[in-house]
Amino acid sequence: MIKFEQVSKTYPGGFQALNQVSFHVEPGEMAFLTGHSGAGKSTLLKLIGMMERPTAGRVLINGHDLRRVTAKQIPYVRRDIGMIFQDHRLLMDKTVLDNVALPLLIEGYSMQEARKRVQASLEKVGLGDKLKHYPMMLSGGEQQRVGIARAVVNKPPLLLADEPTGNLDPKLSAEIIKLFEDFNRVGVSVLIATHDLGLIARLRYRTLSLRDGRMINDGLQEA
Amino acid sequence: MSLLFRQRSSGASQVKISGFRRFVMFFVHNAQQCIASLGELARYPLASLMTMAVLGLSLTLPATLYVVVKNTEKVGGDWDQAAEMTLFLRNGLSQQEIATFTKRLNLSDDIESVRWIPKDEALAEFREGSGFGDALDALPENPLPDVLVVVPAAERRSAQAAQALLLELQKEREVAEARLDLTWLERLQALLNLVRDGFLALAILLCLSVVLIVGNTIRLNINSKRDEIIVMKLVGATNSYIQRPFLYTGVWYGVIGGVIAWFATAVLIWWIQDAVVGISELYDSQFSLEGLSVSEMGILWLLAILFGLFGSYLAVRKHVSSIEPQ
Repeated sequence: MIKFEQVSKTYPGGFQALNQVSFHVEPGEMAFLTGHSGAGKSTLLKLIGMMERPTAGRVLINGHDLRRVTAKQIPYVRRDIGMIFQDHRLLMDKTVLDNVALPLLIEGYSMQEARKRVQASLEKVGLGDKLKHYPMMLSGGEQQRVGIARAVVNKPPLLLADEPTGNLDPKLSAEIIKLFEDFNRVGVSVLIATHDLGLIARLRYRTLSLRDGRMINDGLQEA
Repeated sequence: MSLLFRQRSSGASQVKISGFRRFVMFFVHNAQQCIASLGELARYPLASLMTMAVLGLSLTLPATLYVVVKNTEKVGGDWDQAAEMTLFLRNGLSQQEIATFTKRLNLSDDIESVRWIPKDEALAEFREGSGFGDALDALPENPLPDVLVVVPAAERRSAQAAQALLLELQKEREVAEARLDLTWLERLQALLNLVRDGFLALAILLCLSVVLIVGNTIRLNINSKRDEIIVMKLVGATNSYIQRPFLYTGVWYGVIGGVIAWFATAVLIWWIQDAVVGISELYDSQFSLEGLSVSEMGILWLLAILFGLFGSYLAVRKHVSSIEPQ
């Protein structure tokens, strides 16, 4: 599903965020990506979401080389990837309904058509009754779940999450992870970046570890 | 259509929307975004109205100048019509010869009318008008020639055609000298050209400023929605999808700015109307300013909308694509 081949990323100014990283996440797999802050987790996710391009090497999603994707095609790539952020990136002046419907409206749904899927998506994350609320009226955990509902509303085959539990207490974090497990169970590939090692330790998923831009453990062989 | 996952149907195709319906929905979506951007403007009525007023008032000046030029040309046209030629006849022609010549000219298609001013009449008139009566009495004979005042036919009245006719008349045996008072006409025309060119340059500058003002306002709009644009891009919005509401905002600026321009132009014309009538009374003529016609108002409106659209296009083209999620 996600394949990195000798990928390096050097930012303008010379900082090398990733150094010859290779790994392969299979379709339907759920994996964690860990490392200290600055180890390159965010950069790695940005390369998949095409917010950045690699300096060297290639990134493949479902066998498609992202180097061959033009700038104009990037939006279409992003429609296939559900992205979840630590700061959830909701539009604060729009209702939960409008926020979650956004990816559908962009794809050309009418609001009536989108509404049903928004409802289903919100119910899945346990917020079926918060359609008309504004994000400000929700707790941090609820806001994060709205972000997840928005990421899965158009049923992407791939979910990326960048520190989705970063601001949440352990109980809420476990609930969020459980949501990802639910999506994974129906065949969605999931890649979660987190530095919450305690969280991962309790779960038995493949864990990719980055340190200073290098993949020190891709989770397949014991380090 | 999914780019990376061939088997994955996505978006509108998944809910089985027919091509025709999608075609219709494209316009429905556009209409929705169009109305939505109007609603967005209504959320900040004062700021929006100020931009629209700037657009409208900037177009008012060119529109008013246009009205002034249009009316001046109408007047200029009237004066053009009055072009007369003066033929000074050779001395020593008999009354009979002059009468025949007059009749011959009258028959020509190029000439509408001929009026003969006999030299005795001219002398009498001159004697009364000039106050040189005594001095004239001292002259042995009448120094003035017989004069024919020729009014060319309608189609020979433009400066060029009249000039050509003048040359023809000059060749006549009876004519000593023919004069067409074209200089003042040419001067008037040159002056009109100067005014028109000056106004045109001014109008172009003002229109340019309209485009820049709208562009700048839209740029500020885009920057204030930076976060929203980033989120939209993250969930897969294309640039053109993000741009559309801003383009519609520009169109709305034009729509309402154009209406403001109508009213402001009407007020301005009403304002200078009195002064214009005052001048025309001094020239003993009945004259009133003619305002914008319906089609001219339509053109003004269309221009306002185009400028609004163009200004916002310049802004979105540069700034929407430059905002990328980091």
